[in-house]
Amino acid sequence: MGYLNNSVVTVDAILTTRGRQLLAQNDGSFIITQFALADDEIDYTLYNPEHPSGSAYYGQAIEGMPLLEAFPNETQIMKYKLTTLPRGTAKMPILDVGYTNIVIKQGASLAITPQTLNYLGGNQSETSGYTATISDVRLFNTFDGVGINTADATALNTSTTTLGTNVSKTVVGTTINLTATTVNTLFGSNTSLSATLVIEGRDSGARIQVPVSVTKVS
Amino acid sequence: MSFKAFETDDFVVSADSITAGLWTGNSPELTAFYTSSTQVASSNGAYYINVYNSESYEDIQFAIAYGDVDGSGSLEFDSAVAGKSPSSTNYGQYRTLVLGDENAEFAFGGVTAPNFYAISIDRNRYKEGLFPGSTTLDLKVGSNTISLTDNSQVVTSVEFNDAGRVFQLVSGSAGTVVDTTSTGGGTNGYSASGSYGLFLPDIATYLLNPSALDAAVSDGGILLSTTRGDNVDSANAGRLYNAFVDAASFTANSEETITSDFIFVRPRSSEFNYSENPSFISGSTGEVLYSSFINNPTTYITTVGLYNNSSELLAVAKLSTPLPKDFTKEALVRVKLDF
Repeated sequence: MGYLNNSVVTVDAILTTRGRQLLAQNDGSFIITQFALADDEIDYTLYNPEHPSGSAYYGQAIEGMPLLEAFPNETQIMKYKLTTLPRGTAKMPILDVGYTNIVIKQGASLAITPQTLNYLGGNQSETSGYTATISDVRLFNTFDGVGINTADATALNTSTTTLGTNVSKTVVGTTINLTATTVNTLFGSNTSLSATLVIEGRDSGARIQVPVSVTKVS
Repeated sequence: MSFKAFETDDFVVSADSITAGLWTGNSPELTAFYTSSTQVASSNGAYYINVYNSESYEDIQFAIAYGDVDGSGSLEFDSAVAGKSPSSTNYGQYRTLVLGDENAEFAFGGVTAPNFYAISIDRNRYKEGLFPGSTTLDLKVGSNTISLTDNSQVVTSVEFNDAGRVFQLVSGSAGTVVDTTSTGGGTNGYSASGSYGLFLPDIATYLLNPSALDAAVSDGGILLSTTRGDNVDSANAGRLYNAFVDAASFTANSEETITSDFIFVRPRSSEFNYSENPSFISGSTGEVLYSSFINNPTTYITTVGLYNNSSELLAVAKLSTPLPKDFTKEALVRVKLDF
């Protein structure tokens, strides 16, 4: 007979940049209602299901690893979420947005309609839609999500951003509409501007990051 | 699904009192005292003098001000208007702050006084207030010394005024009162002129009773020699500062109430057993890395994200080591969020 391990893992949380912003707004938007888990930093190729010492040692190379402290930038953490799928899942949901790299001319528009492959027995659009985060909202005159009409999604899509400042913006929808900026001064002496677009399935947790370039026309 | 909604009993709010040393570097005792000649000579030097812990003059520890109801002990603003000087301004300022009545008088242990010394702790030194029972304030003039503390440990009911809790400053140290009746003082650690002052922890201020400090040693004083001349700069604040320098010890703790939100994160056995981590997937079509992961996947929790209804990441917590999760395991992670 031995003692049961009844310890509870306790961790200190930090507010993200977005969390601090919503807390400062004091409009009731800072209400924690749900959680997600992620395995950022884990390399599953270190998992060894053929370890000669047996199954207790399969995760030996992972389980003792030290982890980095949390980053407050919400775009740099919770990248790889753990998901709840039926036992026996052989293929993980993956996102297909039709692009591996987006190059768009100044003033041009683009509609992105993501599809989730291997999800609920096929390839389909997720019921709760997708979140799309652009790392620098200045690159687009419009950056909207359409197709999800819940109050939360609408609030997110109409939320204000700091004009003229390099900040990210997140929208929700089944289709993401982009119109590249027409502001020449943003380019300075450059011929193109770059950012990253992260799209995440709200049901599956599947995630894809696509580089985005806006090229100067004149 | 990658999100799971919290239930009502997943949240617990707790408030804990945290104490720390009051002075720079969380040191509980201040042993070196310096003033800046520049500050003392400036226009606000007529009202108060700042006390530093080193000659680099980086961190103000506290300020000393002298207040007098008649404006005595400092130069009048205008000689044509008697009784209006920085000391009367100080007196009125603290009277409003502490007593909340322009006609009230300060009383130290039941003995009214026309003047006081105010020791105002710098805002950067304390968190929320001062911790009652932690003060040992030493003063020395010549060979006469006295240690003062607050009587919070012996009072049976706490008094309140417009500045919150009020305790008397009495002879003693670290909350322990020393009776001075055998040496000519009053009972309960008082002097023959009442208590040695007021301790106002909620505004991080001590008000010292000049009469008690000026009294003879046989009456419990240290012969501080506060001067109350009309329209004359008596530098009384500097007089008290010298008593600090000679005694070389001022001990106190700060106090802060930390409100913590404890959030219990409970992934059940059937949840969060697959990962969108690219290394969990083999190839571009989404196959899991190992065939054993199809029926017996193992994931490792490293990060807990807390979201609002719009799925915006509000707070994040990292575990110190990866926590294994599979269909045979449930986890309980308590996340602490301080405000």
